[in-house]
Amino acid sequence: MITAETVVEVGVLPGYAPLLLLLPLIGFAFTAAVGRRLGKLAHLVPLGAIIATWALAMSLATPALTGGLGEAGASMPLFTWIASGDLSFGLGLHVDALTGALLLVVTTVGALVHLYSVGYMSHDDSYWRFFAYLNLFMFSMLLLVLADNLLVVFAAWELVGLSSYLLIGFWYTKTAPGLAAKKAFITNRVGDVGFALGLMGLVVVFGSLDISTVLAGVEAGALAGPAATVIALLIFCGAVGKSAQFPLHVWLPDAMEGPTPVSALIHAATMVNAGVYLVARMSPLFAASHDAMLIVAAIGIFTAIFAASIAFTQTDIKRVLAFSTLSQLGYMFAALGVGAWIPAIFHLITHGFFKGLLFLGSGSVIHAVNGEQEMTKMGGLWRKIPITYATMLIGTVAIAGLPPLAGFFSKDEILGEAFKFGYAWVWLVGMVVAAMTAFYMFRLMGLTFWGKSRVHDESHVHESPWTMTLPLIILAVPSIAIGAALGFPFADGVLVHALEPIFHPASEMLGHEHEAWTLFGIDGLLMLASVTVASIGTVVGVRLFRSDNNEFLGRVTKRLQPLYDGSRNRWYFDDLNDLVFVRFGRKFANALWWFDRRVVDGTVNGVASLTSSGGRGLRQIQTGRVQNYALGIAFGLVAIAAAYLVIAG
Amino acid sequence: MSQIAGHLEPYLVLSGMLFAIGSFGFLARRNAISMLMSIELMLNAVNLAALAFGAFIPSLAGQGAAFALLIIAVAAAEATVGLAIVIAIFRNRKTPLVDEYDTMRQ
Amino acid sequence: MPLPDVIPFIGLGWSDVLFLILSGVVLAAAFAVVFGRDIIKSGLFLILTLGALAGIYVMLGAAIVAGAQVLVYIGAISVLILFAIMLTQSKLAPVKLAFQTQVAPAALAAVLLAVLFGLAFGSTEWGSTVFTDTPAATGTAPVAAALFGPYLLAFEIASVLILAAVIGGLYLAMEPKGDEVGEELP
Repeated sequence: MITAETVVEVGVLPGYAPLLLLLPLIGFAFTAAVGRRLGKLAHLVPLGAIIATWALAMSLATPALTGGLGEAGASMPLFTWIASGDLSFGLGLHVDALTGALLLVVTTVGALVHLYSVGYMSHDDSYWRFFAYLNLFMFSMLLLVLADNLLVVFAAWELVGLSSYLLIGFWYTKTAPGLAAKKAFITNRVGDVGFALGLMGLVVVFGSLDISTVLAGVEAGALAGPAATVIALLIFCGAVGKSAQFPLHVWLPDAMEGPTPVSALIHAATMVNAGVYLVARMSPLFAASHDAMLIVAAIGIFTAIFAASIAFTQTDIKRVLAFSTLSQLGYMFAALGVGAWIPAIFHLITHGFFKGLLFLGSGSVIHAVNGEQEMTKMGGLWRKIPITYATMLIGTVAIAGLPPLAGFFSKDEILGEAFKFGYAWVWLVGMVVAAMTAFYMFRLMGLTFWGKSRVHDESHVHESPWTMTLPLIILAVPSIAIGAALGFPFADGVLVHALEPIFHPASEMLGHEHEAWTLFGIDGLLMLASVTVASIGTVVGVRLFRSDNNEFLGRVTKRLQPLYDGSRNRWYFDDLNDLVFVRFGRKFANALWWFDRRVVDGTVNGVASLTSSGGRGLRQIQTGRVQNYALGIAFGLVAIAAAYLVIAG
Repeated sequence: MSQIAGHLEPYLVLSGMLFAIGSFGFLARRNAISMLMSIELMLNAVNLAALAFGAFIPSLAGQGAAFALLIIAVAAAEATVGLAIVIAIFRNRKTPLVDEYDTMRQ
Repeated sequence: MPLPDVIPFIGLGWSDVLFLILSGVVLAAAFAVVFGRDIIKSGLFLILTLGALAGIYVMLGAAIVAGAQVLVYIGAISVLILFAIMLTQSKLAPVKLAFQTQVAPAALAAVLLAVLFGLAFGSTEWGSTVFTDTPAATGTAPVAAALFGPYLLAFEIASVLILAAVIGGLYLAMEPKGDEVGEELP
């Protein structure tokens, strides 16, 4: 309930805040216009713009996360975008702790990916185009995070999708990237239909899409019951599409056709987090509907185990990481669904860093073995590319959830709060997924770096240039430390303090109380359980893949052949889509085409032929003989005279 | 006085019937010349009517006859030209039957 | 001995009888013109019709019109028609059918016309119509007064019309000399 005392003052952003948006935009415009002529120097302006953006973002995010901006954050209204009758949508910037968390991940990983791309894309002819697109993407993502009006968020949502399309299909002269880009865009669009409908619902209820207005209204109870469920689920549709949850997950693995920096930036650290951000931002709306929360949690945790099971059998290094991203995103949505808002954002941050690290590392591996992506043709690389190996090992330990690295803190909090809020099934599945995660990640490490070398041409294996290894090293630091930095002491860390005011209304609506953290009580037990599970997965993975174990693995595979095949084929979901939408859709379209030809065109043609046959019939009157015409005159005369006689007589 | 010939109606009735006969002939005969003869019948019916009116209505004393004379003149002209046309067409079509004159047929 | 005013048995006056005879001839001959198979006979019956009509014109007191009728209609037009008949006789054309396919509707139209005329003439109040028999009313003088009075323009135009008809008739009936007019069709 909003009362006079609970209204908090919103601060004012410093004047340089719009630069966060303008710098990447200028970088894009400049590079798009003159980049081609700059050749190998095309990266200077975009890279500079992004580094400057990073600096500005940090200067805003740091006070946001440490309480310097006040509880309600700070905003800066810019201008009114649409004013039509009663409706008015404006564009403004708003920074609070949630924004700060996103800014941290987006700009840091973004800047590092830009630096990495200098080395990775150095041989590409369209070097300049890549950086132009990257800057465009950064602009879109920052707009999405900073906007204070849902309509602008939607516009930025679409822009981000567009940038993703452009970047996935960067090597458009080949077939596969083009198809993957289309798949990504179309799948996103499907989710966006739901998002748009949800926005329309909000306009109907609240008359405005201003975030603070909407949330205040929801907290005051203006939206409840089935209406709240419907609108929340519609908005969740958008998140399902953008963050690749089941059933709209199909585009993310295929999106690996894009260059590896793109995979790292967009499909690990930033764009796919947009869905999580959206749901978190609209937390009161979801809290208003228990059913919606349940669905969010169910889809999230299902995606987590679904994707993890597929990652077991993939042999393309990037695809394993893609399914891993799907799985971790599932974790985040499961957390949001049970009401564990802060752990979800925490995991978003940590995942952004170590998944970005893992992807960039994989790019380094691919660069080292001259473009080979199949792990079956790797192996024994740990001596040859030590920096890459070390950083990837750090990333793997982080994602496995082993303490004291970052992943442990965030994952443990998710599972812990899931259990404490009463969602034991989410906790149980989450445990299984944690074990699976550890397993398949160490499988990846084993196949890539350990054992005997299966590389085609060993002499050319070389470490990557400093522009690529430096970002790896830089990213390893938060992968190790940011968990502790933000999350320790448990339930009392920096992040909790920063984000609590934001999620307080939603937690209140759910009736969740903030309990103290007890090491020797339930919390300690849960922590022990998650560490145990992660360790089990790690040990099994390491032992099986430490050296070449082919006969044993072969026997296991044969025993579980159907499961293996199913997992290998992504549980045939793409085939299902193909059957339903492509094949059946084509038949349906043909039927409609028949209808259009026969019925619609038939009617039009029928009218025409009716007219012409009518004309042909009437033409019989024109016999060319005068007497026939005279007969007509005679009858006409008789008729007129008779009528006259009758009427006037 | 005479009951029939002294009244206007009998002459008019005669005129009407003659006109009807003439129109039947015009509409139903195949030979072009027969059609022209039927036209003459119709014109004569009109003459008769005009003369009858002229005789029975005092104010129209000489006008009926004048009208009839002019009609005769016009009929003569029309018969001339009509027959000339029929002869010209006959030269082309070798038949006087109007059934055959249907090149204007759709 | 002078003739009785009214014919004894029939009870009609002499004028009436004359009128009936003449109108009977007119109608019978007209039927013969229209229904006759042989076209020359039709032409001759046309002459008979016109002659009987001239008699009726005399009864109406328009002797000059009767004279014109005989001179022009019978003497010129009918002769012209007979000439045309003879010029357009074709051995090739079948003479079986004298009537068109539309003879039935034509008969219907004619009957309807006749009925219409009968109704119209019968139901109209003609008011006081008196048969004027005075020389001042009948005869040539009033005709001339009308023709060269109010109807002078019509008279002149009629003469121009006749001139045009003569020229036109001559031109139309000329033998083609290789012009476009009257070109022989295949």
